[in-house]
Amino acid sequence: MSSDPQILIQQELFQQKPIDGQVLKKLIEASLTWLRTNQELVNSLNVFPVPDGDTGTNMVLTMQAAYDEVANSPEKNFGKMVHSVANGALMGARGNSGVILSQLWRGIARALDSQEVLDAPSLARALAYGRDTAYKGVVRPVEGTILTVAKDAAKTAELALDETDSVIKMLELVVDAADESVKRTPDLLPVLKDAGVVDSGGMGLYYILEGMLRHINGLPLDTSLSVVKPLAAMNLDTTLELIEPGQDFEVVIDFRPNDGLDFNIFYDDLEQIGTSIQLGEGDGFYRLHIHVPTEKLYEPIEYTRKIGVVTKAAIENLLAQLEAMGRGNDESDLPLVTVEPGQIAVVAVAPGIGIARVFASLGVAAIVSGGQTMNPSTQEIIQAFEDLPTDKIIILPNNKNIVMAAKAAAELTVKNVAVVPSKTVPQGLSAMLRLIPEGEFNSIVEEMNQALDEVETGEITYATRDVEIDGVKVQEDQIIALLNGKLVLAAPTIEKACLGLLEKAHADHFEIITLFSGADVTAKEVIRIADSIRSAYPEQEIEVQEGNQPHYHFIIAIE
Amino acid sequence: MTDEITPLGSIQVSPKAISSIAYHAALQSYGVVGLTSKNIVDGLAQVLVKDPTYGVDVDYDGENLNIDLYVIVEYGTRIKAVAASVSNTVRYNVEKALGMPVHEVNVHVQGLRISNFD
Repeated sequence: MSSDPQILIQQELFQQKPIDGQVLKKLIEASLTWLRTNQELVNSLNVFPVPDGDTGTNMVLTMQAAYDEVANSPEKNFGKMVHSVANGALMGARGNSGVILSQLWRGIARALDSQEVLDAPSLARALAYGRDTAYKGVVRPVEGTILTVAKDAAKTAELALDETDSVIKMLELVVDAADESVKRTPDLLPVLKDAGVVDSGGMGLYYILEGMLRHINGLPLDTSLSVVKPLAAMNLDTTLELIEPGQDFEVVIDFRPNDGLDFNIFYDDLEQIGTSIQLGEGDGFYRLHIHVPTEKLYEPIEYTRKIGVVTKAAIENLLAQLEAMGRGNDESDLPLVTVEPGQIAVVAVAPGIGIARVFASLGVAAIVSGGQTMNPSTQEIIQAFEDLPTDKIIILPNNKNIVMAAKAAAELTVKNVAVVPSKTVPQGLSAMLRLIPEGEFNSIVEEMNQALDEVETGEITYATRDVEIDGVKVQEDQIIALLNGKLVLAAPTIEKACLGLLEKAHADHFEIITLFSGADVTAKEVIRIADSIRSAYPEQEIEVQEGNQPHYHFIIAIE
Repeated sequence: MTDEITPLGSIQVSPKAISSIAYHAALQSYGVVGLTSKNIVDGLAQVLVKDPTYGVDVDYDGENLNIDLYVIVEYGTRIKAVAASVSNTVRYNVEKALGMPVHEVNVHVQGLRISNFD
């Protein structure tokens, strides 16, 4: 067992009580928490560019379902409790890794059928049954995956029976074996080796086991320990967002340390030099990433030269990069809300950066750009929400041509997706106001559907050809106004089209008129038109937002 | 069928070749324990046959490549998640090998194999 006196005391305390159903509940909770703490790390281990790839998230959702099943249960019997856990995991299984995880739990539950408390022999039997059940689920098991880690863990537990009858000791050995097994996965599966990562599902299983041990040892579960990432998991693109004032240069150094690397000392020393420190490990060498001020530009290189051999160094001027990408309507700086697992997330299609911003300010979790002449594909819509850490998704297509693609996206995913068929931007915004992220999914969807009819939508655009619809005659390039998608008038100027539209919409019976100005209308013109609308409708509140949408001079919400 | 014209001649990939790729990818997917004939009248649902196109239908109409899989799934797994996963795996492997997009992968769960009762 561990030699740390603090941990020994904790283990002693744990051993005083029998490991019954209530203790299992705590262990499951610890697994879930520890897995969630390391969720992003597991996610970053993906090698296949398939939408099924969010292993960390999938495993968290599966474990969450398992825990939810037992969270309020007063059951004392370990076997009965573990059956509930398995049942929850089965119902909540997401993705490949989630399905395998649920099979492991199913096997474990079968082994412990009506066991009152857990002891070492039953733990070994449980892991063996879990392994057997998991392996039965596939004709050609691929080694170097979560299956291999489960197999190695089970084998270690069986061997440990000869030397111990302590559950804690056995779990310690199992966790160590899982760790070793995860590290070996690249040797078994070439695609992992090529990508420079270990298997994500195996890593997830390791965290589940380690979470239980950390709980027993009284160690914290909510702070990630990983200081070294696999090389492929270093995401240097995102570090640009983290630039602090004074950190003008980005330095990336590949080096081989002469002796082993003491990460604590290494990090302490580097923190004296710069910020945004990341360390990646691959095939015998390390890659260091750091942001430094100009006067310390060469210090990271000199430091690494002292502790090893530098094989490559690259320096980039961040200020120049920032200037290049700083301005402009970059979508990456949209203030999108962060979704917590289990919350409802909304994905909105927005035709312009300004409208995207308005949606973001109302709490949208992801934006897909697209509109009248640039319909996003089903795949783009799926990609927007696949990565969100929740399975309750609402899509606002905000254009009648995109409703179909959104519905197709809803059918092609295992997530629980509802399309609120907003046909215009104002309808989408109106629906957005009803969002309560923690609310009950179906009732929120219903609320949002009802909100669609509570706003009138006006659109000012130009005709692309000569046409006569609903008695309105239009020539090519003439300014036209649409009310709720129907052509209502043609006008010589944008201003006249706006005023004519508001009249047709009986805007004097409403309270608020919001104008979203298009990309091709000058600021001066927007002010002039807004002023003339204000004088025509003194009773109404007139708001102007920069929408930046193409083709539409104005999109108008009347509510 | 799926042909490509190069200056040196044309490349043709037969449906049978594509079936083989899909077949192997499907059998490596977790939860799939076998492929089976789509037509029950053809006989009893056989698991684990050696013909590498058994249980896979490939249809190419000159524009879209569609794949139908007739699978047996392990009892006790979440079938929806298994089906989504096999669909992704087959699509990924076929697209990677062929370099052309797959329009549809339809997964037909023809039966369940019960290894052990709970």
